[in-house]
Amino acid sequence: MPGVDHCLQEAMTIPGAVGASIVDYTTGFPVATTGAAPNSDHEAAAAGTAEVVQAANSRSLFVSAVPHDLLEDLIITTAGGYHLLRMVQTEFDSRLVLYVWLDRVRGNLAVARRQMQRLADDLVAR
Amino acid sequence: MLDALTTKERSVGPTRTLAPGDLLARVAGARQTGALVVKGHPGGAVYVLEGRVLYAESPAAPGVGELLTSSGRLAGRTWQSALDLGTSTARVGRLLVEQGHLTQGELELCVLGATYDAAYFVLSDDAAPAEFLAGAMHWLGPVVHIDAAAVEREVRRRIQLLDEIFPNPRIDVAPVIPVTRPPRERVTVTAPQWEVLVHADGQRTPADLAQLLGRAGYAIIAELRRMAAAGLIEPPETKAPEGPEFVRLPHPRGASVPVSRSAPAGSVPASPASASPVPADSAPASPVPVISGPEPAARNPPPVGDPPPAPPPPGDGNAGMNRPPRLARRKPGAKLPKEFAGESPPAHQGADEVLLKRIRTALRALR
Repeated sequence: MPGVDHCLQEAMTIPGAVGASIVDYTTGFPVATTGAAPNSDHEAAAAGTAEVVQAANSRSLFVSAVPHDLLEDLIITTAGGYHLLRMVQTEFDSRLVLYVWLDRVRGNLAVARRQMQRLADDLVAR
Repeated sequence: MLDALTTKERSVGPTRTLAPGDLLARVAGARQTGALVVKGHPGGAVYVLEGRVLYAESPAAPGVGELLTSSGRLAGRTWQSALDLGTSTARVGRLLVEQGHLTQGELELCVLGATYDAAYFVLSDDAAPAEFLAGAMHWLGPVVHIDAAAVEREVRRRIQLLDEIFPNPRIDVAPVIPVTRPPRERVTVTAPQWEVLVHADGQRTPADLAQLLGRAGYAIIAELRRMAAAGLIEPPETKAPEGPEFVRLPHPRGASVPVSRSAPAGSVPASPASASPVPADSAPASPVPVISGPEPAARNPPPVGDPPPAPPPPGDGNAGMNRPPRLARRKPGAKLPKEFAGESPPAHQGADEVLLKRIRTALRALR
């Protein structure tokens, strides 16, 4: 049975993964974490993640321009790494996002995105 | 203030007078198993297994069952049969996964969310009386194990987050009243804010709305604070807790009532004192200023001279004046405030809705 911890372990097997977490983006709280975090601080990283998600959700016009066109992924690339955020869609009320930090040299954006999509779906699928 | 409270309570001695957060830390340190029960306005309980937090519940936060059934993720009867089967052995959570109704991931995420949500309401009020029931176990069973210190830290952080948005804790418990006329030409609301505004009928409290909508209590409060900051909901009256609760009854009808009520608030000195962020405490204290209001009116005349004393004896004799008659008539029924002021009005307002929902869920389970 894939639980939260199993999901994060799987996320760490994505090529180039350095750290992963599941973040509640209403409160900016890391529900579960593993591996490294930017500045070695998972809580601060989660708070930052939450702000990015909220900004994308509520302050950018290209999200939700069409009804039911919901936010799926956020991908931020920096000189040294890739930061991928995947919304976890639960049927019950929760506002969660799966975050994976990839090393730029070893990571492959397309592969990572596909795998995160699968992980987020497996976590809540029947 | 916190220090003052805790030191005062420590001097009293027994564990049950400790602040809820301190008691949780002590229980966790001793790796105990049981339930930390907190009374007070929202109140609730935190369940601990060998010092690790398993679950928390509060009337102000929808529990796992409410979240799963109100969203339609689980049918009411599925939930009910799991309860029937697993309550006695405390393995309701595990049953749902074993029977294939939920994935382990869903269950864990739901329990984590509900636990942190309820923990905020259970642990945020340092003045609430708390006691530890050793050995008590929750029927959900062990699903997650959370470090007690992490829970406490997160509660403090959430309190601070709310205060950064808009520092008025009365918004968290007062009935939600959307303003009839927005304060500016153009108003932007998010989807969760819309949901809250559409369901706010002037009587429902944030807790009622959370249960009704199946949304996290904290998320509702955060949206309310944002809307209060934007001027989209009426600021809760600071005088409300000090006023007699039976005057509250006409209140839901509209904004005209507060205006008329601000006038009789002759007991102004009481309002700043009771406008503390702890409504639970101020409510029982409320009858005092109210009764003291009419009494001076009745007492003053006798010393002044003979003519006035004649009217006061029956109590109705004061009817000649504008306000005294109302207050004097209430005085004989001084027991009433006790019943009404027992925090029940905030709890019951809009409670029908919650009750109806429960009945509906139960009926669906029978189908």
